[in-house]
Parts: sequence; C-alpha cells; structure tokens
Amino acid sequence: MFLNAVVLVLREILEAALLISVLLVFTHLFQKSWDRSFVLRTSWVAYSIVVGCLGAAAYSHYTPQISEMFDYVGQEIFNASVHLISFILILVLVFFVPSNRLAQRVSRRSQVAALCMIGIVMFAIIREGSEIMQYVGGIASQAENFTPVMLGGFIGAGIGVSTGVLLFYGLINLSVSWSFRVSLILLCLIAGNMGSQAVLLLTQADWLPYTPIAWNTSAVLPENSIVGHLLYALIGYEATPSVLQVSIYLLGIILIIVSPLFGKAWPQQHSLAGEN
Amino acid sequence: MKDISLAIRNILGLLLLSLSIGTVFAATPEIELIIKDHLFFPATLEIPAGQKVRIRIINQDPTPEEFESFELNREKLVVGNGQTVVFIGPLQPGEYPFFGEFYPKTAQGMVIVK
Repeated sequence: MFLNAVVLVLREILEAALLISVLLVFTHLFQKSWDRSFVLRTSWVAYSIVVGCLGAAAYSHYTPQISEMFDYVGQEIFNASVHLISFILILVLVFFVPSNRLAQRVSRRSQVAALCMIGIVMFAIIREGSEIMQYVGGIASQAENFTPVMLGGFIGAGIGVSTGVLLFYGLINLSVSWSFRVSLILLCLIAGNMGSQAVLLLTQADWLPYTPIAWNTSAVLPENSIVGHLLYALIGYEATPSVLQVSIYLLGIILIIVSPLFGKAWPQQHSLAGEN
Repeated sequence: MKDISLAIRNILGLLLLSLSIGTVFAATPEIELIIKDHLFFPATLEIPAGQKVRIRIINQDPTPEEFESFELNREKLVVGNGQTVVFIGPLQPGEYPFFGEFYPKTAQGMVIVK
C-alpha cells in the first residue's frame, strides 16, 4: 500500500509540477517587464493552486454523476474537454507572451498571459488532483490503510514537487535566451501532449475512430519504467501511440510555433532582449 | 435558395441514415468485468482479434478503483459501487495485461486476443 501510494501520487503530482515549473520560468523571464500591479509576482501560482484544489474537490465529488453521462463515458468527455481548453490557453499564452522583457507598455499582454497561466495550472490540478482525492478518499475509509497511504502520498508529492523545483532552477540558470527557448520548446511538447491525450480519451470513449498504432517502443523504453514515467509526465511519452494521436501531437506543436508569429502584429513589439 | 437548402437537408438526412444503419450492423460486443474484494472477475478476458469490444466494468466494492493498462493504453476510474464502460481494440493477437491502479497487489487481469 505504501509504495503504491508513493507511485500513484508521484505520477499525478509530477505532471502538474513540471508544467508549473515551465510556466514559472516564463514568469521569471518576464518579471521585469510584466505588470506588477496584477498577479505577476509569481503569486499567480498560489491563486491557481487554491482554485485548482477547490475545482478538483468539486470534480471528485461529482465524479459518480459525471461518469454516468454520455452512456458511461462522461469522464472521458470531461477530461478531453479540459485537455483541449488547456491546449487553447497555451496557444493564447504563447501568442500574448511579451517578446521584449524590457519593454515598458506590455501590461495588457501580461495580464492575458497571466490569466492563461492561471487557467492552465488550475485545469492541470483539477485533472490530477481529483484522481488523488478519489484514491485517498476511498482508502481513508479503511483504517488499516490510512497511515501507509498518507505517508506514501506525502513522500510521492514531495518527490514530484522537488523534481519540479529542480527543473525550474535548471532552466533559470541557463542564459536568458536559452532558458526562453527551452521552456518554449517544453511548452510546445506539453501542448502537443494535451491534444494527444484528448484524442486518446475520445478514442477510449468511442467518440473518435480507431487508428492503428504508429510505433511500439515498449521494448526499448517501457512506459512503466522510471524514465518512461518522467517522460510521460513531461512530454506525454507513450510506448504505443495511435496514428491519430501522433498527428494531433504534431499539429499541436506546429500551431504553438506558428501562433507567436501572428502575435507579431501586436503593437509595441520588440525582439527579445539580448543575452545577459 | 430553397432548393439548395432542401437538397443539403436531404443529403444530410441520407448520411445520418446510412451512419445509423452502419452502427446497427456493426454493434460492438460487450464483455462484463466485475471488481469484488479488489479482484477482477473474470481475471482473463478472451476477445477476437481485429474486433472493437466494449468492456462494462462493474465495481461491487465500496471503494473506487482505476482500470489501467499500459499495453492497452487505457486508464479509467470506476467509482465505488458503480459501473463504467471502456472501449478497447481492434487489437492484434496477443496478451494485454491490465490492473487496478488503486489496489495493484490483488487487482490483476489479462486480455487475451485470439
């Protein structure tokens, strides 16, 4: 029970922690130029975590009703919608990210970007948190499992959050332009994964047609290995993705790359400040 | 204009009709999988190759469970004393293990595709 709780909670927390790290790197990079009157002294994370936890509790509470909707595929439809909304929020975020961290008048851009980030983190916590709540809620009813599960859960959460912190400090210790590039690439992959997960869920619900498996790397890198788990949490690695999943993943990446190019039409646009 | 909209409506109607006939003829077979005392019954499910199957998972335990399989790429929560549906396949012949993520020590099973 103890080890199982560590792995289960770690898997859920890791995904949200890595996502929050990448977004915090954005906040860190643009802190000087973003509007300080709003939530952008990294405190936006606190807001989104609190709202996310409340949302997760509500989702967890209504799971029995939601899962019966649409002929018992309500969960898939709900989760796929959350993934798609998160994808759109990332798209809007990269569109509105101020491209000059020293520019003076970027308050409107930064407010939109902040709202997007709050939304992305909130939805990530709703998705991952509700599963932890279901698990812990079920276990807590059995007295003999309570202590090992709580202990395991805290250790799993601790490892997950630490990994996120490591990623954050690893990224901000790169040069400014590299840390911007790497976090943007990670955001692309995270967005691609959102699309791919939505496809997987809708296929599981039989709302999307079956497509053959694109490749099988389960012999080289199994999904249930440590590296597999880490890559799954960070960029949505799967050993046997379907053709449709891979297509949507790639389409997602292309959309995220193209989006800031259109953002260039926005006024007060300058190039990213040089290396320092 | 009226003619065009009528034509479109007719075409749409025909499409919908053919789709619904298609689903009736390709009715997906259903298999029942019961969770009791954190065990799966039956622990092995046999399904034909190249056929989409609907698994109806009935959880008779008061605690929630999560049906999970890396090989099948499936993950689905089943609330306590509740039921749910997961679609799998069409699959190649082979063995596809699954487990209950919340009680993996006991909740283990296998889909055998022949």
